[in-house]
Amino acid sequence: MKKVAWILQIICALILLQTLYFKFSAHVDSVQLFTELKMEPNGRILIGVLELIAGILLIIPGSAAYGAILATGLMTGAVIGHITVLGFADERLQLGLLAIAVLVMSISILVIRRTEIPIIGKVLAKRISN
Amino acid sequence: MSSKLSIDLHKLAKFTNIVIPIIAILFFLAGIYLSFYFHFITVTFIFLTVINIFYLNVQTHHSLLRNFGILGQGRYMLESIGPELRQYLFANDTEERPFNREERSEVYRKAQNIDSAFSFGSQGNFDATEIKLRHSLFPANKSKMKPFSVTFGEERGIANTYTIKRPVIISAMSYGALGKPAVQALARGAKMAGIPMNTGEGGYPKYHLAEGVDLIFQMGTAKFGVRNEDGSLDDDKLRDLANKDQIKMIEVKFSQGAKPGKGGLLPKEKITDEIAELRNVPKGKDVVSPTHHLECKDLESTVQFIKKVQDVSQLPVGIKMCVGSFKEVRTLIREMKSQNIFPDYISVDGSEGGTGAAPKAFMDNVGVPLYPALHNMQNILVEEGVRDKLKLMAAGKLINAGKMLVAMSLGADACYTARGFMLALGCIQALQCGNNTCPVGITTHDPMLQKGLVPDEKAVRVKNYIENLEHDFIELLTATGCESPRGLTSENLYVPEGTNLAACIHQLESASSN
Repeated sequence: MKKVAWILQIICALILLQTLYFKFSAHVDSVQLFTELKMEPNGRILIGVLELIAGILLIIPGSAAYGAILATGLMTGAVIGHITVLGFADERLQLGLLAIAVLVMSISILVIRRTEIPIIGKVLAKRISN
Repeated sequence: MSSKLSIDLHKLAKFTNIVIPIIAILFFLAGIYLSFYFHFITVTFIFLTVINIFYLNVQTHHSLLRNFGILGQGRYMLESIGPELRQYLFANDTEERPFNREERSEVYRKAQNIDSAFSFGSQGNFDATEIKLRHSLFPANKSKMKPFSVTFGEERGIANTYTIKRPVIISAMSYGALGKPAVQALARGAKMAGIPMNTGEGGYPKYHLAEGVDLIFQMGTAKFGVRNEDGSLDDDKLRDLANKDQIKMIEVKFSQGAKPGKGGLLPKEKITDEIAELRNVPKGKDVVSPTHHLECKDLESTVQFIKKVQDVSQLPVGIKMCVGSFKEVRTLIREMKSQNIFPDYISVDGSEGGTGAAPKAFMDNVGVPLYPALHNMQNILVEEGVRDKLKLMAAGKLINAGKMLVAMSLGADACYTARGFMLALGCIQALQCGNNTCPVGITTHDPMLQKGLVPDEKAVRVKNYIENLEHDFIELLTATGCESPRGLTSENLYVPEGTNLAACIHQLESASSN
């Protein structure tokens, strides 16, 4: 199972990190998205930095669970954004599905690495072993 | 206990469980209508809601979490840092176990060469639990004190006798129980101070040997380092090891104070590739030594086995044991007498002895504590007329000179301590020796934690501890009026009624008067 987790981590990290190029280079589409969310430009950079951190944490062995938590949170936000503001029309559909995909993958990572989750990991570990 | 200001935790928990999802919804709305930034908080509270639902409805392991949800977690979190909080803030200086702050800081001061004078008065109880040394009206003349010297093996007249010049020896701690820098620091310190060190039952003592310190090789019941596949003794391996200059004595471990009747135990968390190789054991599994030596089936074979180790190694050979039954010990001594084979020393390990890992049931419930065990052992040896055939050593919380002198008054020729030296290395009694998470890097193989333990720095502390221990030892010995520890007897002790040592002395008195 750890191998599955690693594959998911790498895919998540790649998706998170490749979108950074658009965010940090102030790509027209990216600016458009964050303008609609009324977060331009600070929100775009803040989210970008958080995604960068999540991506890095995901590929460091000791911190994968932390990265997955952060990624889950960010993608939950992204999905909320699509549902409430951005919608799923045209190319937004692809972006929205990508966000959902990363959300599902990071939740899967958390399920596999449940015992590594801070604080609640111990509760989960005992439940599983019984 | 009801007061207007009291907090009803039950109500608070219910309130919290309802409020968390409501807050999530409120911030969700704020995120839509006010600013998308509110969704940072929305997401956080969605997480809390999910965790709470899991605690309340899914998991079944923790009753508290199932009834009260996320607020119940507070108890576990606070409880988990309880030992630290108590040690830092609430425990007084004389109440911690196994060593209280008073005892620990005495070692720290010795190790750091800090003056040991205290003010106003002792923190001791002076009640029916404390054994005191009796001083003499006429203290010994320091200049006439005989230098400390105990020669092992002299009774048998062997060529390779071994003489110690200081009363304390570093007790058995294996590489495995200890990490590499801890072994290095102890070995270097011991070498500087000129005392030997016991290797513990850790297989081939690679890191102990590397430092050039005198060693007592301990052969545990699993015989790591000198075993055949079936667990019997490999003569050649033992001979090779005994031929090394540094190996001065061999110690056959019959039982250990912390887990008598049970073999050694090294938790799987602490088994690295190297340790697996040195001990020739698999990784990923706790290593549990057998309960007894394969060769020792009865009294006769046990004594024969001691003889065999003596013959193969050509070195002084001692046995280490925690006393269970005095009757059994007496029959063992009688068997030795009838075969005229004696170990060169017997090391009596009190049941209060330390360990890296032992089952709690054994640690708490089995074996005779050191002082009564030692006193009885001495008496049995004297009564059987064989006290001059061997040396007696003592182990079990002997971390200061006072306790060492008590042990010597009860018959010990020299003292072992392990935890005293761990404290000298900077042990803070975090009680995590078996988890590979020692916060000061002593009993761990985690390089991140070992970084904190710099061998050269701590070696000096080990040396200081030994020297200051000896200083106190001589001062106290002088006060008793004896010129050598050999002059000490139980008459030199004030043993209050009510201690188990007193009970034991009475038992012997009544037995001898019958």
